[in-house]
Amino acid sequence: MKKTRVLWLTLMSCNGNTHSFLNYPYIEQFLNDFEFIYHPIIDSDYTLEEIISQDIACDILLIEGSVADDFIKAGVPGIDIIKRYAKIVEKIVTVGTCATFGGIFRESNYKDVSGLHFQEERRTDKYNDLFEKTVSISGCPVHPEVLVSTLYAIKKGLSLKLDAYLRPKEYFSYTIHNGCTRNEYFEYKVDNHHFGELEGCMFYDHGCRGPFTHGSCNKILWNEVNSKTRAGLPCMGCTEPSFPKRNIFETKKNMGIPEFLPVGVSKRTYLTLAGITKAFTIDRLEKKLFDD
Amino acid sequence: MIKLIEKIEGEAKLNFSFKDNKIDDVSVDFMSTRHVEDILKGKTPLDALVINPRVCGICGHAHLIATVRALEACYEDIQISNKAKIIRELTLTFELIQNHFKWFYLTIFPFFGVKQEIAKALYPTQLMGKAIAVFGGQYPHTSYAIVGGVVCEVTNMDIIKVQRYIDETTDFFEKNVLSIQNSDLKTLNTLNDLSHVKGDLRDILKKIEQNDWQNLGKSYDRFIAFGESSYFKKGKSIKTRVTQNLAIDDVKETDSTTSFAKSVHYHDQYYEVGPLARAMIGKNPLIKDAHRRYGDSIFTRILARVYEIPQLLEHTKILIESLDLSEPSYIKPEVDISQLNAVGISAVEAARGTLIHKVEIEDLKIKSYEIITPTQWNLCGGHEQNLGVSQKAMIGLDNVKLAEMVFKTFDVCSVCTTH
Repeated sequence: MKKTRVLWLTLMSCNGNTHSFLNYPYIEQFLNDFEFIYHPIIDSDYTLEEIISQDIACDILLIEGSVADDFIKAGVPGIDIIKRYAKIVEKIVTVGTCATFGGIFRESNYKDVSGLHFQEERRTDKYNDLFEKTVSISGCPVHPEVLVSTLYAIKKGLSLKLDAYLRPKEYFSYTIHNGCTRNEYFEYKVDNHHFGELEGCMFYDHGCRGPFTHGSCNKILWNEVNSKTRAGLPCMGCTEPSFPKRNIFETKKNMGIPEFLPVGVSKRTYLTLAGITKAFTIDRLEKKLFDD
Repeated sequence: MIKLIEKIEGEAKLNFSFKDNKIDDVSVDFMSTRHVEDILKGKTPLDALVINPRVCGICGHAHLIATVRALEACYEDIQISNKAKIIRELTLTFELIQNHFKWFYLTIFPFFGVKQEIAKALYPTQLMGKAIAVFGGQYPHTSYAIVGGVVCEVTNMDIIKVQRYIDETTDFFEKNVLSIQNSDLKTLNTLNDLSHVKGDLRDILKKIEQNDWQNLGKSYDRFIAFGESSYFKKGKSIKTRVTQNLAIDDVKETDSTTSFAKSVHYHDQYYEVGPLARAMIGKNPLIKDAHRRYGDSIFTRILARVYEIPQLLEHTKILIESLDLSEPSYIKPEVDISQLNAVGISAVEAARGTLIHKVEIEDLKIKSYEIITPTQWNLCGGHEQNLGVSQKAMIGLDNVKLAEMVFKTFDVCSVCTTH
């Protein structure tokens, strides 16, 4: 079968998505089915200068990094390269949170930094003609399996079910909370989490955004072995439009109730649930997991 | 003649001028920045732990460790368990190792008439990523080292798992890169001792000799390292004379008019940082022998970087054995960091050399943040009277392709350089 031709274009970025992609365990298989006309690290048939100055045949444009009109890439506005290839390709994929929502660098000193179609939650309407062509894969960085499998789905011509931010539902309908090994501490509201322990849930005090952040981190895991929340690091909501929030290691509360609640749970329901869970003490969850 | 250098975590522009068919001057310009230091201003101090790994996708973990140490340096007294210190050193070392593999197989290989070895680059890289993820949850971009220690608790089974990753990586190195055993590290003292050894590194070194390139890419023969650890020593080496007394306050940055990268100097002089610098300061016998023969050339620089891998792997084994799992991973600081009005400086050895972070906290917020990256030391341009390290190494070469190779032996990382 003909290889799908892909252009990996990096704009205002740390290249973290590039390196996260290199953690995909079966890259050689991937490269049997796809070829990069340009990639920030992997050798390609064309130089960046050729990519910029010519129209090279291409099927999918991957954009990594935030977009700004005044951001210059190798001597030309980055946005001009997007426009050139957007006409050529079948699909555009925004790779990572910067390219999708603006991400961490929307606070840089460029003008009006955003993702391709969104500035945080807001539709920018700048590239509306490209909206239909675009799939977003947010995450800071992108998860390699989510990226690769989505590219295969595009290659196969599958019609992907996408959410309002154009993210594949198959990955972004879950919350980070799903599959976290600390779930029981959340469910039964055992709220005395301390860093450095296997036990406890970071939602109540330490800013964990897992219950209201969309993604599959705890379903497919990172580097095939772990996740931030399993390790004891709060989810920072890195797949969402608002990333990065401020005071990341703190849970903001009003009258003792966390400002952000699990997706679909109202304050009233939360209070009822909290009241019920407070009524019972689960000895196993109060103790160390591996107590003698 | 202008040459765009690509595939260096971004791009750089080298502007060469030739005289008598030799490079007589070259300017090094990095063309974009992301203003990370400005983004940090006004943020809660702990948020720097999340923002700073995003300075760089390939050495972001070094930025995390530099950040947490700079924040902790704001305290007059803060307790960090030995266990947390060891775990941080382990994950930082894993990142160094994976960077070295990537650079060797993806960046250096293509200059020697061989294709990138993607599988060989990525297999050990992924193992090291897994080892970091066991402690940090994921790689890249974890923020698991926080003020007071690390967020993870570690079990015996975690240790066993990580030890297998280390063993597998060691095995891979010995089968592919250099056919030595760990025990050989003490007996490999001269280039002659290397002559019976096989592997991809040996092949590249042979090609350097066959092409008569072993004296290319020499610079000032001045090295510096500020990051101390259980393995690396702080110091500077000038033509093999090593001194330990360094004052980090004397490291200064200068703006450039043509490039977004600021140049870095110590007492107004440029120094090379990185594995070669560390080996010279640490007086590694094999690297010193290469240096005796070929000076600070690409031969010595490439050897020093790749030869750091087995030494670091060996060191991680020792570090893991010294972990006492009964210690706490995290000790909550008595005073919250945002309550301090203080300045904290840190220096760590990242894959490409010394990385310095400096934070100033005032009124619950970050007032200022300064980041000095290894690639600034090595790559930033000086001027005619005082050339930068990589500039000096390229002058006198007779073609641009060779200059690009010399430039990339320093391992360029555009995003770090400009941040």
